Amino acid sequence: MNELAPWNQGGAAQQAPPSPPDLAPSRPIYDGKLGELYGIYLRHLTLMVLTLGWSRFWGRTRLRRYLWNHVSVLGDRFEYRGRGIELLIGFVLVLVVVGLWAAAIWLIHEYAFGGHAVAGMGFLNIFYISLVFIGIPLAFVGQYAGLRYRLSRTRWRGIRCGMAGSAWTYGGLATVLYMANTVTGQLLLPIVSVSLARPRIGNAFLGTQRLDFAGRVGDIYGRYLGYYFLNVVVWIVAIGIAVAVVIAGGHELGITSEELTRLATQPSLRTVLLLVAAVFVLSVVFGLMILPLRCWWQAYLLRYLIARTRAGNVLFASAISTRQMWGFMVLNYLIVVMTLGLGWPWVMHRTLRLISRALWIYGAPQGATIGQPPHHGPRYGEGLLDMFDVTGF
Amino acid sequence: MAARARYYDGKVAMARIVTVRPTRDELVILDSDGSNVVARWPAPELVVLGDTAHEKAPPVVRRGEEARLVIEDPELRHLLARSMPPLAALGIARPAALPRIVLFGATLAVAVAAFWFAVDVGSGYVAPLVPYDLQRRLGENVASEVIGEQPLCQGRAGLAAINGLATRLAKAADYPHPVSVRIVKGGPVNAYTLPGGILVFYSDLIDLARDGNEVAGVLAHEMGHVAHHHAIKGLVRQFGVEQLLKAMTGGFSDLGTLGAGGTLLLALRNGRNFERDADATAVELLEKLGLRADGVAHFFERMLEEHPTDAAALIGIWSSHPPTKERIAATARPPTGRPAFSDAEWAALKAACGPREEKPAPRNRPPARRPNPGQPT
Repeated sequence: MNELAPWNQGGAAQQAPPSPPDLAPSRPIYDGKLGELYGIYLRHLTLMVLTLGWSRFWGRTRLRRYLWNHVSVLGDRFEYRGRGIELLIGFVLVLVVVGLWAAAIWLIHEYAFGGHAVAGMGFLNIFYISLVFIGIPLAFVGQYAGLRYRLSRTRWRGIRCGMAGSAWTYGGLATVLYMANTVTGQLLLPIVSVSLARPRIGNAFLGTQRLDFAGRVGDIYGRYLGYYFLNVVVWIVAIGIAVAVVIAGGHELGITSEELTRLATQPSLRTVLLLVAAVFVLSVVFGLMILPLRCWWQAYLLRYLIARTRAGNVLFASAISTRQMWGFMVLNYLIVVMTLGLGWPWVMHRTLRLISRALWIYGAPQGATIGQPPHHGPRYGEGLLDMFDVTGF
Repeated sequence: MAARARYYDGKVAMARIVTVRPTRDELVILDSDGSNVVARWPAPELVVLGDTAHEKAPPVVRRGEEARLVIEDPELRHLLARSMPPLAALGIARPAALPRIVLFGATLAVAVAAFWFAVDVGSGYVAPLVPYDLQRRLGENVASEVIGEQPLCQGRAGLAAINGLATRLAKAADYPHPVSVRIVKGGPVNAYTLPGGILVFYSDLIDLARDGNEVAGVLAHEMGHVAHHHAIKGLVRQFGVEQLLKAMTGGFSDLGTLGAGGTLLLALRNGRNFERDADATAVELLEKLGLRADGVAHFFERMLEEHPTDAAALIGIWSSHPPTKERIAATARPPTGRPAFSDAEWAALKAACGPREEKPAPRNRPPARRPNPGQPT
């Protein structure tokens, strides 16, 4: 420093040099045990069956309490203080809202159309179709409001987290972006990813400390376009290989179309095994060619989003690899599906272990400047309630 | 005794290493070297948040305050729990994982099996107990959805003939509620039963039948569904299995899709069994009334003539009906007994929908819109 600023030598003797920012690296620590998690999960499933699913609000809360409290950052554990009753009330409120919606449609159908079919559809059909239409944007609203609820019930060092911003705005933005992305054949995916990450990260708070997100679509678009067109080529090749294998294999084994029909309609053990083998072969082709490419992109995107996030003077980074992303996206999916849902705790355990291995935190928050937020967050939350974002009142 | 812990004041995000000293009346929190008092929490106001089964280190708070005390060391937690009754929850040992897994795993397996059994068997007991008014309202709603704008046949004598036979069959089946038959003008060649004893026939089916005994066979088959409460049973089973799947999969969407496929296959299997029951009951009821029972099999033969590639046999496990040949074999009866309809009644029934429209030859008939065309459901 002195060599670089010789004109300042006189002053340097009396004035302490500015201390470099604290960027000591650390990682979150997860110390949960799979067996304990399974004990909680199996109890939850048993109660779910016995109560026809009404215990799910409390079961979900218990699982979160376990997971949150087994993750610590800089030696301090997270706390989850949500309550099952809050989720139940939220769910009941939404049931009422859906009921009112149904009543409104019934009144219109009955009095405006005299109870006659409209475009060949009776009341029930109109109601179900209306739910599909409003359900898509409301699902996005629900995602944001759900995040708000979970953050408001999360504490670190005794300080509540929170979420600002409007869930409705987010829902509208997400709906428009996803529709545009679908219409343009997924070419807008980087815009969707960055534009939705911005409110989700940038509106999140630890106490009075807001998180910052500095991502820009332009940073990742070039790489995405490369991935996109490579993906198209790989799909064509993979489908070509799959078709060739099926045709050649079918000829080789002398399988006729009648036998294929029987395979689907009168399955014997042999045909079921054949079917499983075919699905396995196709999965291998798909898994070897398509998924690694997808995982490569997802790993890159996640690394980018994390690296552009900051909480005051604390920086984040991740070195998550394509292989780790494959484990997260593909293997976790297979575990859940192949175990018919019983592998869910294993997946949660694996995911938290991955986070604790792949997430780096640089620096420590200036705790003295982070106060308790003035608001307590929504009174009720999640589930269907989140879909309508009535958590605000 | 002094124990080290982490203290958060609830005002700022700072962690402070403290020592805690329990006394009879209060928990004294001092700074790390024990020189200054950080807080004094009266014993009656101490609360342990959460529990050791879920939290690794359950926080201790003073009721109504945001500040927290977290003691990581389990031995020190036990010591505190022993010395201060309000902190007793800190001393509860975390339950061992394996016995819990075994206990809840076994309970879950029993609960699933019991649930499955209750739905499968219980639906048979529950269905007749569903109030008739409710069944009727449900049936009327479904009828208005399914029939839609299609016109109903109004021929009084024909409707009286088929409703009269339906009532006699219902009485023979000990079905305690009124039944009503509606005839929808047109196709497909089909008939089905709705909750509340509502039977829907399509006039194309009546047109196709060679005589009144074949229509009576179909009517008796539908009455079999009514007598066995198949419509409500099906709904109860479907609802029950859906609840079980929801509970088990936790709403994971792909599992939900797999589950929906399983539920569909199960419903179709139920459907095939229901059809077999209804076929058997149809023959039984007709014979009980001294009527000709050969119409049931004859009508199935007519269907097979119409559609030689039997859809039910072709699509196997995806069919809601058993293969037609199997049904013919199961319901074949000699041509004994009285005709189900008098000549006048049969003529009135055929005329119930007004003059018959010219239609293309049966083989060229357009495919029906409903599953398993030509099979009374």
